[in-house]
Amino acid sequence: MSLRIVVALLVVGAGASGMAQVRQWPTETPPRPLQAPRVNFPDYKLKTLPNGLQVLAVSQNEQPAVSFRLLIRAGAAQDTSAKPGVASFVAALLDQGTATRSAEVIANTIESAGGILAVGAANEVTFINGAIVKDQVALALDVASEVARRPAFAAAEIRRQMDQAIQGLQVSAEDPEYIANALIDRLVFGFHPYGRPGPNSVDAIQRITRDDLVAFHRNWFVPNNALLAIVGDLTHEEAFAAAEKAFGSWAKADVPVMTFDEPPPPTRRLVVVDRPGAVQTEVRVGQIAVSRTHKEYVPIDMALRILGGEGANRLFGVLRSDRGLTYGASANFRAYKFGGSFIAETDTRSETTGEVLRLTVDEFFRIQKEPVDSRELRGAQDYMSGNFPLAIETPSAIAMQVLNQLFFGLSLDELETYREEVTTVSVADIQRVARQFLFPDRLSIVLVGDASTFVGQLKAMGFDQFERIPIAQLDLSAPNLRKAGGDRRD
Amino acid sequence: MLRNPTSRALAVAGAVLLSLGATPQDTIVRPPKFDYTMTTLPNGLQVVFLEDHSTPIIHLSLWYHVGSKDEKAGRTGFAHLFEHLMFKGSKNVRADQHPSWITSIGGQANASTDEDATIFWQTVPAQYLPLVLWLEADRLGSLEVSEDKFLSEREVVKEERRMRVDNVPYGGLSEVIFDKAFTTHPYKHQTIGSMKDLESATIADVRGFYETYYVPNNATLTLVGDFDSKQALTLVQQYFGRIPQGKPVPRDIPKEPKPTAERRFTVEQPWPLPAVVVGYPIINDGHPDAYPLHILAKVLSDGQSSRIYRSMVYEKQLALAAFGDAKLIEHPNLFYAVAVIPQGRSTETALKELTAQVDAMKTAPITAEELNRAKRQFARDYILGRETIQQKALHLAHAVVIHNDITTADGEFDLFQKVTVEDVQRVARTYFTPESRFLITINPGPARTPAQGGGGDR
Repeated sequence: MSLRIVVALLVVGAGASGMAQVRQWPTETPPRPLQAPRVNFPDYKLKTLPNGLQVLAVSQNEQPAVSFRLLIRAGAAQDTSAKPGVASFVAALLDQGTATRSAEVIANTIESAGGILAVGAANEVTFINGAIVKDQVALALDVASEVARRPAFAAAEIRRQMDQAIQGLQVSAEDPEYIANALIDRLVFGFHPYGRPGPNSVDAIQRITRDDLVAFHRNWFVPNNALLAIVGDLTHEEAFAAAEKAFGSWAKADVPVMTFDEPPPPTRRLVVVDRPGAVQTEVRVGQIAVSRTHKEYVPIDMALRILGGEGANRLFGVLRSDRGLTYGASANFRAYKFGGSFIAETDTRSETTGEVLRLTVDEFFRIQKEPVDSRELRGAQDYMSGNFPLAIETPSAIAMQVLNQLFFGLSLDELETYREEVTTVSVADIQRVARQFLFPDRLSIVLVGDASTFVGQLKAMGFDQFERIPIAQLDLSAPNLRKAGGDRRD
Repeated sequence: MLRNPTSRALAVAGAVLLSLGATPQDTIVRPPKFDYTMTTLPNGLQVVFLEDHSTPIIHLSLWYHVGSKDEKAGRTGFAHLFEHLMFKGSKNVRADQHPSWITSIGGQANASTDEDATIFWQTVPAQYLPLVLWLEADRLGSLEVSEDKFLSEREVVKEERRMRVDNVPYGGLSEVIFDKAFTTHPYKHQTIGSMKDLESATIADVRGFYETYYVPNNATLTLVGDFDSKQALTLVQQYFGRIPQGKPVPRDIPKEPKPTAERRFTVEQPWPLPAVVVGYPIINDGHPDAYPLHILAKVLSDGQSSRIYRSMVYEKQLALAAFGDAKLIEHPNLFYAVAVIPQGRSTETALKELTAQVDAMKTAPITAEELNRAKRQFARDYILGRETIQQKALHLAHAVVIHNDITTADGEFDLFQKVTVEDVQRVARTYFTPESRFLITINPGPARTPAQGGGGDR
């Protein structure tokens, strides 16, 4: 097992007693840096095939391997509200058999060639990712193309995936981290697709039919709704030729237009999920936020980093460095196409739950009330601009940045100008966006833990209203979050 | 390098012929070799350099050859707790200032502890080479931890244990397996340690541990990335050269006796579904048998075409998840396979099938196709595992610290490609003997009380 330390950021003076110095050592100040090299965003090339597939090539021949990534612009958000989970089953079944290759043949072909293939669905994308030693690229792309275009959705494979999903429900229903994450999304987004729980009951899973999967695939899996990156030990021309060979005959088709309901307005709500015997409480504090394409994205992102991100992280300082109340604490800005969320997350032993919750919520208030320290701001800015050369080390990392810009329809110039843009954000900007976009008095809060050990603390900490739901009674798809009909368990 | 067209044609023909044969290993793509240099300072610090100018960043790691297997009875978890304390201040660096410096230059820093070693690392823009060397030297040369920082950090580690082990379904799986499988060797306990032992640790222990293990003669510094070796060596000598050599590091670790009869255990854990485990003691990393054992583990459990996945999860659906691992580390450890059993399936049937899959490696050789697939998977992992400067440093340092032979950082590629189906069957027969087998059935049970949390007691 590898145990990691998360980076600490706030500095506190050392106490008097402790471990005396045991070795002779001079007093000195840190050395100055060497001459800094000028760093530019590495070369890449884009090409759109006649069928509309956008292809990105990044060439780097350090290791004799090639990675690829096919993104379909559809995920859980494209599920219908009556049938959540279709996108995730489509993704899971992609590599479980095609028109010409069985699940076994697909696995064996890729693995025998020294490759790896992974499929999955997120909120707004479905991905087929792979990596392979360089002499087998054509084979791997051929398999990837078939997996994307001609999945068989065989009845036996659907059955197998559903059985596994149903069995998996039992494990996730008792996993406090899974529950806390799913519940905070559900509270923040309501029944908007970004917060909609996946298929979380046997009924919901069994409602999904083969026709649903086939229709989802037909609607969204078309080349003009996809992005492909091929990166590594091949030239740009070789990458485009390989893309053309594997995906050139994929037929273009119209993509449905979907509109989403607005997420609910931010509302104060505290839900305690009772898990008797738990030794730790999972804490989530969150609210609705803007989309990735919002014009204030950069200062908002910076404010959240000061609250709980790399380069600053007040939550980590307050909860871990100062008080030893947790192992990890962070606040994340998750920005999607049509909206986003701010979610603070941490965990703490049961008896300090009330204290941790109060301290966490107070930080949402503080970043709004007081201007941030200019050194804190500079720390976040320096991290974001200084991190640039680290973020372009591998061809895959370079490709991810380009794909992100393409996916959200953002300018590719930002890959180069982002570092400068970050440095223009001021203390006043942070306070302005914090006041406009944070709602500390209307936060959604989730506590998953042994309620008997901490609900008594909540009132004194200023949280007098809460809902308490036994873990076995939790139903994310119900408006009141409770299962109908008492103690039934799926 | 072939310049003559005729010999090139012959080579191609040879490759084609080989690929029709049983083991077309010559067609496997080779990764480039590491072009490293290695030096040892007069105080015993081992220094490895690998220049890589592809991106203007550097990665520095410092390995201390001390892990949880060096812990004494009653102090499990201390090596990892000590790792945390290395961030709590030294003569010229205040508590938590080290990581805050690294992030303010856009870098990344972290540390990890396992059974055999404690690793501190940072990846930063290349111009900050002097700073990272100075920071690492300052804490090796002059650690100063206050009592209140020690107490607070001990709470952080206890939270880490709760988060990783006690509060998550299956978080304590390894704890159960290794506690049952070992009787004597400290691999019996997990690196995170028991709550009880963490509670018992004191500030006095910190000093003793520091003086014993945090000495230059127990450390390996690896630097990979965009730097000039001559300039870097001058800086290393300047900052690390002034740290005095320590006493020889004790290596009095008790040996695990050979088991004499099969052992069966049935335990309860507060997890939703039952799990079964079958395992055998094996040999250490670097031993000639380690390579066929690694191949064996891949055939059994790497990917959807592996035997355990196909049989247990896909075809018979006896398991919701199943995997196996040959844990090849510094001292002899275990091969084990685990299956999580869905509701309505029998743990006994699943355990029988899992054992049968493992033991089948003894009765018949694996197929040439399986061997080829495992080698290709190995080559893939080898190549993809050397993409970043951090990964490169990890392989170099591992070769120096765990194998005590830096040439294995490159040399293992060939050792793996030479493994035969006979080798795999031979190691299965050597290690998978009935008297050394252990079997564990873990049934769902009530939640443990916090006081019982642990199981790493020795």
